[in-house]
This record gives sequence, C-alpha cells and structure tokens, in this order.
Amino acid sequence: MGKRAPKPEDQKQGRYVYCVIPSVAEKKSFGNIGFNGQEVYTMDYKDFSPIVSDAEMREYAVSEEEVEVHKKVVEQVMLEYDVLPVAYGMIFKNKKLLTIAMGAGYAAIKKASETVGAKIELGVKVFMPKELDGWNGQKEICRSDYLDGLKGIAADFKELKLFSERLVLNAAFLVDRSNIDEFSVRVGELTSRYDQVKTQYSGPWPPYNFVDIHILGKQRKGFR
Amino acid sequence: MFLIDDIVLRSLGIEIPVFDLFWTFEQIQKHSIKQFYNPEKIKNKIKENRLLYEFGEVSRNEYEVANAELMRKLKIAERALEMDLGSRMDILE
Repeated sequence: MGKRAPKPEDQKQGRYVYCVIPSVAEKKSFGNIGFNGQEVYTMDYKDFSPIVSDAEMREYAVSEEEVEVHKKVVEQVMLEYDVLPVAYGMIFKNKKLLTIAMGAGYAAIKKASETVGAKIELGVKVFMPKELDGWNGQKEICRSDYLDGLKGIAADFKELKLFSERLVLNAAFLVDRSNIDEFSVRVGELTSRYDQVKTQYSGPWPPYNFVDIHILGKQRKGFR
Repeated sequence: MFLIDDIVLRSLGIEIPVFDLFWTFEQIQKHSIKQFYNPEKIKNKIKENRLLYEFGEVSRNEYEVANAELMRKLKIAERALEMDLGSRMDILE
C-alpha cells in the first residue's frame, strides 16, 4: 500500500495567530504581510475571526525584526476592525487545534470583546530630563496631575512598571475611539503645563494591557 | 583546598578573621555579579535605552551598540538562570 501524499499540515506548517476580530461575513485577505511574506487572512469561529497566516512550526524568538512583523499585521488589521490582541508567538499545528483553542477560550474572548470593543489603547510616558536636579519633590504632583487629567476621559487605565529612575509616569489608557481627540487635547495641555519634562504620547495600540493576551495559550486551556 | 579548609574549620565552629574577610569579599562579589546579570534589570535597561533613543538623547548608532550589548547580557543571564548557575555567570561569557 502506497503512502498518502503529505498534506501541507503535515509539513511543519502551522497557523500563526496575530489577533482576533469580530466575525467577518466572508474570508478576508490582508495581503502577504505575515511571517515569510505569507498571506494574512481570516478564519472563522462562531462570532469571531482569528487573523492568521500559514507559518513554520517553531519557537518565535523575541527579536526586533520578528516582533515587528507581528506588530505590523495587528496595526494593519486595526485600521479596519476592533482587535483583540493575542500574545506574540502563538502558533498552532493545524486548523483543528486552533479551533479547539478558540472553543476553550471562547467565553473569555467574548468577555474581553465586550470590555474593549470599539476602544483602543493609548500610552503616556513622562520622563524627567537628566539635568533636572531637585525635581524629585515635584515628581508625585506631576504624576497625579497627568493621571487625574486623563483618567476621566478613559474607560480604564493601568499604571505600568517604571523601568527607569527618570520615569515619572508610565501608563496605558483604554479610550473609546470617539474620545481620542479629547484625550489628545488633554495630553497636549498637560505637556504644555509641564514643559520641563519629556512626554511620550503613543498609539493607538491594540488593547494589550486590558485583555489576557494568553487567552489561546496552554495555560488558558488552549491547545497548541 | 582553601575552600575545603574554610568549610571544615567552619563546621568545627572555628572562625579565622582572615577567612571571614575573604568570605565577605566573596559574598560581595557574588552579589554584584548577580545584580549585573539580573534579567529583570537588563530588560529595564533595554527599555530605558529605547526611550532615550526615542527622546533623541542618544543617536541611532549609540542605541544600536548599547542594545546589542544588553541583548547579549540578557541571553547570558537567562541561560544562567535556566542552568541554575547562581553567580557563576562568567563561564558563559
């Protein structure tokens, strides 16, 4: 009896998941922007569509170049849809295993989608200049002013790790798309008031800090 | 041999001030090496370096050189952690 021809799925080719969006009516392609120039397209699971590309089954190293591929795809999808971000490096051996993981994570995905739907993440970092000696006393006042001024416009916010001694504030804000302009104006006002510090205002980003990005992973009952 | 003598003496409850001084120096050295190769601290430095570049405080070239060095250190620190090498990171250099 002859051996059957190997299916593409047998050739160490998996499905790499970039993010999840609300279900689209027909399969949609986002072009050949995935890993190794592979096509990025939608799959279907109930009322959600994972955004995937066919990709090599391997550990995805945290290198600037590869992370950039993942990031660019999500940014591209975000231009048209509300996205639920998924952790970098999430690859499944085949369509069936991805479907099982979607099933296992479905309730959590649904809940996350209700929380962050129609919202994006904006980042604000406030950095003290090197030469600002004696400014330490004002650090807390500045931090509170930024937070109090911005959290009212946001649906939610999170203070993130201060990874440098010069950081006064590192925060992520979950903002409704309709409030982005108001939020930006407020950031501008605060930046003018505190012109001696450096402010980095970034986004819009997928709401990485407001959903469990490991929703499809092993530790969240997903199967890889 | 020195180490064995030191351990034997300590187990017998005998303390020799010179040995204690060496022991203190060893502990300080071990602590410094652990701090130098602490993956969390290295990750913080990587992020800070990126921020300094984004704020224009360092050039692209300075950023890239520092980043490559920090990534190299991070790899060593993570390998050492996996291998449970304690303070003997130097053997991976």
